[in-house]
Amino acid sequence: MNEYDAIIIGTGAAGGIVACVLAEAGKHVLLLERGAALSFADVGRDDLRNQRLAVYGHNAGPDVIGNPRVFVDPQGRSRIVKPYELDYHNNAACVGGGTRVYGAQAWRFHPDDFRMASKYGVPEGSSLADWPISYESLEPFYERAEWELGAAGDGASIQSEIPRKRNYPLPPVPPSPQTVALQSAARQLGWLTSPVPLLINTESYAGRPACIECKYCVGFACPTDAKNGTQNTVIPRALATGNCDLKTSVVAENIETDNRGKVSGVSYLVDSFGQPRRETARSKTVIVSAGAIETARLLLNSRSSLHPAGLGNEHDQVGRNLQGHLYPRAYGISPARVFNGIGPGVTIATIQFNHDNPGIIGGGMLADDFIKPPIDFWYDSLPPDLPRWGIENKRFMRENYTRVMHVRGPVQDIPNPEGRVTIDNTVRDKWGIPVARLSGTTHPATVAAADFMRERGEEWLRASGCETVWSTQPGLILSGRQHQAGTCRMGNDPRASVTDEWGRVHTHDNLFVVDGSLHVTNGGFNPVLTIMALAYRSAEYIASRV
Amino acid sequence: MKRKKIRISSVLSAAYWRQSLMTTETLRAVVDCLIPPDDFPGGYDAGVCDYIERIFQTDLAAQSEFFLAGIDGIEAEALERFNEPFANLTPDQQSSTLAALESGDVKTSWPISPSRFFEMLVNTTAEGYYSDPQQGGNRGGRSWAMTGFDEPS
Repeated sequence: MNEYDAIIIGTGAAGGIVACVLAEAGKHVLLLERGAALSFADVGRDDLRNQRLAVYGHNAGPDVIGNPRVFVDPQGRSRIVKPYELDYHNNAACVGGGTRVYGAQAWRFHPDDFRMASKYGVPEGSSLADWPISYESLEPFYERAEWELGAAGDGASIQSEIPRKRNYPLPPVPPSPQTVALQSAARQLGWLTSPVPLLINTESYAGRPACIECKYCVGFACPTDAKNGTQNTVIPRALATGNCDLKTSVVAENIETDNRGKVSGVSYLVDSFGQPRRETARSKTVIVSAGAIETARLLLNSRSSLHPAGLGNEHDQVGRNLQGHLYPRAYGISPARVFNGIGPGVTIATIQFNHDNPGIIGGGMLADDFIKPPIDFWYDSLPPDLPRWGIENKRFMRENYTRVMHVRGPVQDIPNPEGRVTIDNTVRDKWGIPVARLSGTTHPATVAAADFMRERGEEWLRASGCETVWSTQPGLILSGRQHQAGTCRMGNDPRASVTDEWGRVHTHDNLFVVDGSLHVTNGGFNPVLTIMALAYRSAEYIASRV
Repeated sequence: MKRKKIRISSVLSAAYWRQSLMTTETLRAVVDCLIPPDDFPGGYDAGVCDYIERIFQTDLAAQSEFFLAGIDGIEAEALERFNEPFANLTPDQQSSTLAALESGDVKTSWPISPSRFFEMLVNTTAEGYYSDPQQGGNRGGRSWAMTGFDEPS
């Protein structure tokens, strides 16, 4: 039988949840994943080839060979990029998607994040818009994601900014010496702080053990399976129903439509001894959850005589508004040692500056950081005026690896239609499918907000007792990367959006997009919990109609 | 965009690297200048050359000729500036030679970009010193003890 109630493309934060909800509702679903199911050993602990530091490769797919993209720099020069290069804007390609190796920060978006245009107006050149739904309508689904996957945090500490009905199921990660310093500084400054919510088992939860506080968290897989991605929570539940067929290492090539233009299934390529073999599965409902870049690519590549510009692209909206986050980073040398070797390392945040900053549109969250292996620290965290070699560099590493305090955070991206995914018809992947071409930058208003946040980071570190403080200055670049979003935004106006509030493509009532592509704006927070909450909301809607 | 023709660059064998004694002695002196010994090992004793040998036979194989040309360039700079091989220079002479190279101030003709080479040299040296011992350098994990990454809390 190659006929399903629903076909879901992608097993990341969204696809895994949609599969679980539909399968548990008794629907027969096909779940397609272009990558493999990766074990802890498969992901490994290579400190030069991982999702956080990818000097020569990475550890969660896609394969370096055969999966190119084309990147167009701000000067308009295009080049072919490899999956581990920054300009590829990779997320992972494996069962669980990015959640296999993420840092698992479990932030809800702020209520104002859903009404950016109403709150700030629309700056010239941007496509800033309100969401078609409010925080309140998503709140129950945030709670569901926190409880079904397992999130650790302290709801009361952020209740004044981001109201919630129920606390997190797990207590927050314990404070470190860095937490104590940052907390007392924030108190002096009059800033609100909270523990960083994480989809990590601070205690055993749902049959899986607690975090063992190792030093390799973000960018790596968890040795005790205490980091909650879709691969170890909702996908096993979906499979346990017997209603979900998971096919890995298969690549969706085309969303099939019938002669009236209605979506009828998905054709995909299976690796058959190095040769692609095409298979087609039929379904009255197709859900694309491939991530903001690959989702747009698949819709744009699904061309036919009835849909010459791709599916859902009648108004040239698919692939536009590609966004992510600029990440200002601040560092300071603490008078005392702050490193205690206890992972994950990220503990404390301030959401004092997510909104209502004078002269700034939006803002962002700031938090301390995950433990960095020394080579990551060497590449990332040294002062710009320190010589890159010689005894002075060595002494700095020796004296300050355990004393450098880190503060960083995602800044609300002000989207614009020129940051976008298109199809490059001259470059194909190993299966012969035209690849994604990425171009444009974020809006200058994002850079202004990032610079404001960089200064707040420095201020926080100075107040923490650091005499020497430095920071990175974010530039006007394309900001997609692991927080990629926005390429099939939801909205009420079919000329200015791709889907309705449920993720249903305006032009096709049986085609859904459910992933970060839907985000009208991407918040000043790590976006994964919002992707998960939207997935629960859309999946319930789809389950009631399939 | 036209697909770029892939240049097949020769992969240097381990034997070639070992035979290339001049390169080895120069490289040894270079990595010790980049990460000098104190009470923790310098670059050479920490296994940086082992790491470099490995990375230029694997991930950076296509750039091995580029890298060797850069090491030859350092040697030529030393001879031009001080009439001595790089390995025989005083630490100050070595540092000033590398500092000049870093700022693009070269006295001989370079077939490659000195600054691009220097960046690759500094990065691979740091990788050999600070990355996981399983990468082929950081012998005994000494740099991890030095930084405190590996100390018990």
